[in-house]
Amino acid sequence: MAKQRTEVADIDRSLYDFRDSEEGFERLDAGLTPEIVTEISERKDEPAWMLEFRLKSLEIYNSMPNPTWGPSIAGLDMDHIVTYVKPNTDQKADWESVPDDIKNTFERLGIPEAERSYLAGVGAQYDSELVYHNMQDTASKMGIVYSGIEEALHDERWEPLIRERFMTLIPPTDHKFAALHGAVWSGGSFVYVPAGVKLDFPLQSYFRLNAAGAGQFEHTLIIVEDDADLHFIEGCSAPKYYEANLHAGAVELFVKDGARLRYSTIENWSKNMYNLNTKRARCEEEGEIEWISGSFGSHVGYLYPMSVLAGRRAKSSFTGITFAGAGQNLDTGCKVVLAAPETTATVETKGISKGGGIQTFRSSIVATPAAEGSAATVSCQSLMLDDESRSDTIPAMDIRAKNVDIGHEATIGRIGDDKVFYLMSRGISEEEARTMIVNGFAEPISKELPLEYAVEMNNLIKLEMEGAIG
Amino acid sequence: MEALKIRNASAMPAPTWSWLRMNAATLEVPEGLERVRAVTVEADSDLTETHASFEGALAALQERLDAARGDEGDGRACVRAATAEAESLEDLDTPALSAYQLRATREEVAGDVAAAFETGIGVDARSYLNFLAGGTVVLATEPGADEAACVRVAGEAGGAAAASVDVVAAEDSTLSLTVSLDGAGSEGAAGLVGSELRVFAGARSHVDVCVYVTAEEGFTVLDDSGYVLDEGARVSVRHVVLGGGRTATGLAADLRGDTARMDVATSYLASGEEQRDFTYTIRHRGRRTVSNMDANGVLTGTAKKVLRGTIDLVHGCKGSEGSERETVLLASQGVDNKTVPTILCDEDDVAGNHGATIGHVRPEQLFYLGCRGLSPEAAEALFVTAKLEDAANGAPDAQVRANVERLAARVDPRFDADDRDETEEERA
Repeated sequence: MAKQRTEVADIDRSLYDFRDSEEGFERLDAGLTPEIVTEISERKDEPAWMLEFRLKSLEIYNSMPNPTWGPSIAGLDMDHIVTYVKPNTDQKADWESVPDDIKNTFERLGIPEAERSYLAGVGAQYDSELVYHNMQDTASKMGIVYSGIEEALHDERWEPLIRERFMTLIPPTDHKFAALHGAVWSGGSFVYVPAGVKLDFPLQSYFRLNAAGAGQFEHTLIIVEDDADLHFIEGCSAPKYYEANLHAGAVELFVKDGARLRYSTIENWSKNMYNLNTKRARCEEEGEIEWISGSFGSHVGYLYPMSVLAGRRAKSSFTGITFAGAGQNLDTGCKVVLAAPETTATVETKGISKGGGIQTFRSSIVATPAAEGSAATVSCQSLMLDDESRSDTIPAMDIRAKNVDIGHEATIGRIGDDKVFYLMSRGISEEEARTMIVNGFAEPISKELPLEYAVEMNNLIKLEMEGAIG
Repeated sequence: MEALKIRNASAMPAPTWSWLRMNAATLEVPEGLERVRAVTVEADSDLTETHASFEGALAALQERLDAARGDEGDGRACVRAATAEAESLEDLDTPALSAYQLRATREEVAGDVAAAFETGIGVDARSYLNFLAGGTVVLATEPGADEAACVRVAGEAGGAAAASVDVVAAEDSTLSLTVSLDGAGSEGAAGLVGSELRVFAGARSHVDVCVYVTAEEGFTVLDDSGYVLDEGARVSVRHVVLGGGRTATGLAADLRGDTARMDVATSYLASGEEQRDFTYTIRHRGRRTVSNMDANGVLTGTAKKVLRGTIDLVHGCKGSEGSERETVLLASQGVDNKTVPTILCDEDDVAGNHGATIGHVRPEQLFYLGCRGLSPEAAEALFVTAKLEDAANGAPDAQVRANVERLAARVDPRFDADDRDETEEERA
């Protein structure tokens, strides 16, 4: 094995690491009490059932222990986390109406430009509230609804549907931070795609957490009706502070018969963030969910999108990459439940760790007795870029059906000399060979992203080679 | 004796989600069992008449490792995190470790061989088995010797019997050890058999361990073991688990010496309502160490099985390779198969890989057999028969083979002892 190693630069976060003034913003007190939860609900003028739901969730939160199997969250003191910060604006439908400092933030992040270029609609959340939400006329004429979830909750056409579905895929009893989300959720998007409607361009939500010591708890609820098709993108970022920030959002996706939903995420929180996010999809007969996930930021990350394949021949695919640099412990992966006949799932992940960073791939494939004729394959590869970092793989399988085929493959290691030698023997320089191998490692993920996001991902994984390959 | 529950047994070093209920097992010992002595040790006096001890071997290894150990500081981020008084975000370059990462880092920094010693099922099971055994048999080879030994635990209904064995293989020696865990009795009658095995494989020694579990369905079987391998040691372990209503097989290995190698092959069958629990943890600490775990099993009826396999590539084990593979045939609707093949990697100059294939008989195989008049059910039953025949053919001696045949006659009506291959021993 080689003596020298590939050098890969840390992610350049200067693009994301700028702060805005909080002048004019409203902050609730830090901590978590029934009074704070009630105040959040009252500020949003919510129906009574939602306040009741929030308070019940708080009770559940207080009764549940912290997880003991993952990265430590001892540095997260909820008594010092502000759960609600309202920016100095209401939600707008045109960027010109958004206050300059907030607008400039999203300009720097490229959101308005992306909207002009290729998106069918954009939602932008700043701290606890949406500040911008808009969708192209063509999409609204197709009957698609894309709005803030709070806005939809106050719309009598959608309130019953939200009430029926809200936190049913991710009940507050699921885990402690699902309960926290149920108590203090704020902002997020609601998407409804009618039967048979196929949207050619993606919708995107972007979440920016500017406030130090605060939490962001947005809720995304998407319903894709029979034979409809949607691509939804979410992105997120925050400036760096030397105190804990918390993200505990929730994403609930309902994919009906024959429908298809692609959900892409580029997670780029700052290195003081505890990202304890929960995402879950339920697919009915021949429904299909595709998860594309890039995890680059956060101090601690717990992120495992879950697919429940509840209908015959439903499909799930998960394609993910995690890059853990110095100071990061990113515990990522996915969960799949095969709960109907002839369902299929594929999982392909890549992990890179360097500079003392820790990345863990964690997964579960559960096949219930109803999953006759189902199949799942899991493939995970981890690349260690130095001997100070750590990479763990903890995949679990629980198979209770007879006629199923489950395959699992995983590898951990460094870049092999043989690969470099092979390329060099074909006339490629060592430097180029190194670059090709590392880029090739991430390529199965980046090719699944829209072009602009693939470019962003390549920026995030800024590979700088020097010296001999390791 | 009263009923006993051993909680948090067979725990995975790195746990997964609690809701999967795979992280550890609760082992139940039925009430009313009498502690009995049912252990036979077949070994030359060269092996048993010794002053060597497992603890003494570890102490000698420790002395050597300490002498070779440098005293340069370790500034790695995980060490900073493990030695910090409290978790703080003032230093954003220090990661927040999980509990097992913290424990692993501290253990690595301490470098204490004896403190790091572990067995697969764990401390509480070890204590219980040692209590049942009443004393430990030490088998120690002389340098360069070539020895064989057999430990038989022949349980009986209503009894609880266990062997406690320490093996100390001197440098350049070879030892073949057979452990037979058998228990016969009337149908469904409860009993317990077990063994507690500690092995120190000295430099360049070869140790082969073959464990056959052929107890009847009323029996609980606890097979617990821990290995420490010195430089260049080679250890091969074969676990053949065919019987026992509830079995727990645990193995933990510390590949402490450079170029040490560990191969573990597991073959199992579970039918009816039987439960199989396997926990394997192989920690690579020496440089250029190699491990292979290969498990192959058949589940029928409403049987349950858990396999927790962990390859731990500890910081400093440069050039090491760990591999783990599992193939499971689910031959009935109603079985429950759980597998967690884990790789922990704290070193970059290593290779770790694992794979698992879980499924039923492939359609092309069924078609082939169907053309020859076999129904799918009959075809799948063939795999059970094949598993038993393979175990009988590979039995280390006539007595173990007889145990397999007795069990097979009950489990599989197709099994015909006369069909199997003659062994070398029989031919002789």
